[in-house]
Amino acid sequence: MTSLLRIELRKLLPYRTFWAILAVFVILLFVILYGSSNVTINGQSAGATFYKFPDIWPKLTYIASYFNLLLGILLIITITDEYSFRTIRQQVIDGYTRADVVQAKYSVVLLLGVACALYVFLLGLLFGIGFADEVATDKILTDAQFVFYYLVQAIGYMSLAMLFGFLVKKSGLAIMAFLLYAKVVEPIIHYKLPDSLDKYFPMKVLSSLTPMPGKEMFEMVTGASEALTPLEALLPAVLYISLFCVLSYRLLKSRDL
Amino acid sequence: MANVLDIQGLSKRYGSVQALDQLTIGVPQGSIYGLLGPNGSGKTTTLGIVLDVINASGGSFRWFGEPLSKATKRRIGALLETPNFYPYLSGEENLRITADVKRVDHSQIQRALEMVGLAPRKQNKFKGYSLGMKQRLAIGAALLGDPEVLVLDEPTNGLDPEGIAEVRQLILNIAAQGKTILLASHLLDEVEKVCTHMAVLRNGKLKAEGPVASIMATNDLVFISGGAPAEQLLAVAQSLPFVSEARILNHQVQLVLQTGVDSSELNRAFFTQNIALGQLTVRKKSLESQFMEIIKADKA
Repeated sequence: MTSLLRIELRKLLPYRTFWAILAVFVILLFVILYGSSNVTINGQSAGATFYKFPDIWPKLTYIASYFNLLLGILLIITITDEYSFRTIRQQVIDGYTRADVVQAKYSVVLLLGVACALYVFLLGLLFGIGFADEVATDKILTDAQFVFYYLVQAIGYMSLAMLFGFLVKKSGLAIMAFLLYAKVVEPIIHYKLPDSLDKYFPMKVLSSLTPMPGKEMFEMVTGASEALTPLEALLPAVLYISLFCVLSYRLLKSRDL
Repeated sequence: MANVLDIQGLSKRYGSVQALDQLTIGVPQGSIYGLLGPNGSGKTTTLGIVLDVINASGGSFRWFGEPLSKATKRRIGALLETPNFYPYLSGEENLRITADVKRVDHSQIQRALEMVGLAPRKQNKFKGYSLGMKQRLAIGAALLGDPEVLVLDEPTNGLDPEGIAEVRQLILNIAAQGKTILLASHLLDEVEKVCTHMAVLRNGKLKAEGPVASIMATNDLVFISGGAPAEQLLAVAQSLPFVSEARILNHQVQLVLQTGVDSSELNRAFFTQNIALGQLTVRKKSLESQFMEIIKADKA
């Protein structure tokens, strides 16, 4: 797997689109987090208490979860590029098996997931220590498991994007299909189905890993909805990730390149 | 001579189109084997299947007597259709990726670049290369790992005459090192000039196969005249069991002899009929006329 990752890095590191999308992720997340203390709730500014440990972890990972779509788009581009350059075909000729192709992309998913989770963790430490009005040092790592949930969530989004990339092969169409599924198709399914069923759907499972902070208060207005807790969502999320990888492989195996 | 590639009854169907139909051929070790056929005859499909990028609908193939595996892939270098590289990377960076995929030491990259004459331009981005340079880079990539077999699909496609001559010479140089080359082309001239063996495909079916020399030699044209009127010569020729075709053309009789029959036998046969031929000319058919006859026979 490390040799496959090394080859992927040879392709990605000189690629401007890769850095441009990562820069958007890094800068936007920082700017949004920086501006979050100015958010006014019920006429009161959230202020520096926004960054207090341990509450910062669920808040930060919830905000970061919105950028998973961006990571998914990045994955789709890296896969569809292989089709448009026809390098996927050449690499299978040169010695890759189809399983190697999926594993190579999955190694990128893991690396990006870990890098983004690490960045989120460092941001949490930076803002929690540097910007909060008081720092409870004994609570710095309390609830930091949300960063791990975020890692699984990011891997889940990118694995689904990987499947769409292999399925559709054209970047524009694959990105559109991915966004449509995540933002239109599944929400419609959620709307039609009872919570007891829709909570097990992929996007809902993944979003359950980083629930909206203060969701209970929100639901006092909108009405309660049934969802898995982050811990409960972990196993189905891992199963979905495995399923997306297996489906990507089966798809690649059954098709001509 | 052992075969490096054995194809048995290979078929491929795309919906209602039978792209390849029960193809059975063997590529002898050390040969330059040409797959010849018009566009859409199944050449690229055949190569795609034996190179693992197209799934066959039926049949089987074996490389070096074994099913295709990672280990056997390392013994093959291939260029299928267009050169496929990352446009934003340099020639050298692209070859590093190829070397890693093939698990070949990077020290071979410079040698491959020199062999295809791209060493001075190795730092240039692939997207800035001319078509000829792209093609040469692809051949360089195929040569990485010093493969025993080189598979080239239309290697001179889109090249100018100078580029075509360069690539042909390169192929001959590589073959001189004892490597087997499997070459698909629709250019008859290319196959005739470069190949030792060939298979002719049409509509996915095998129409002829064997050493180029034997295919070319089997049906030489013989022209005879003198010694008797053309009509009498024709009548005698038609009575001979080893003449497969005879007709009058410009006051001469044009004949096609059966495989393995020497023109001296013809001379002897006429002599026994008391006809001393005034002229007997053997004209080797070009591969083009040979190919057209195979195709015509298929159409009929």
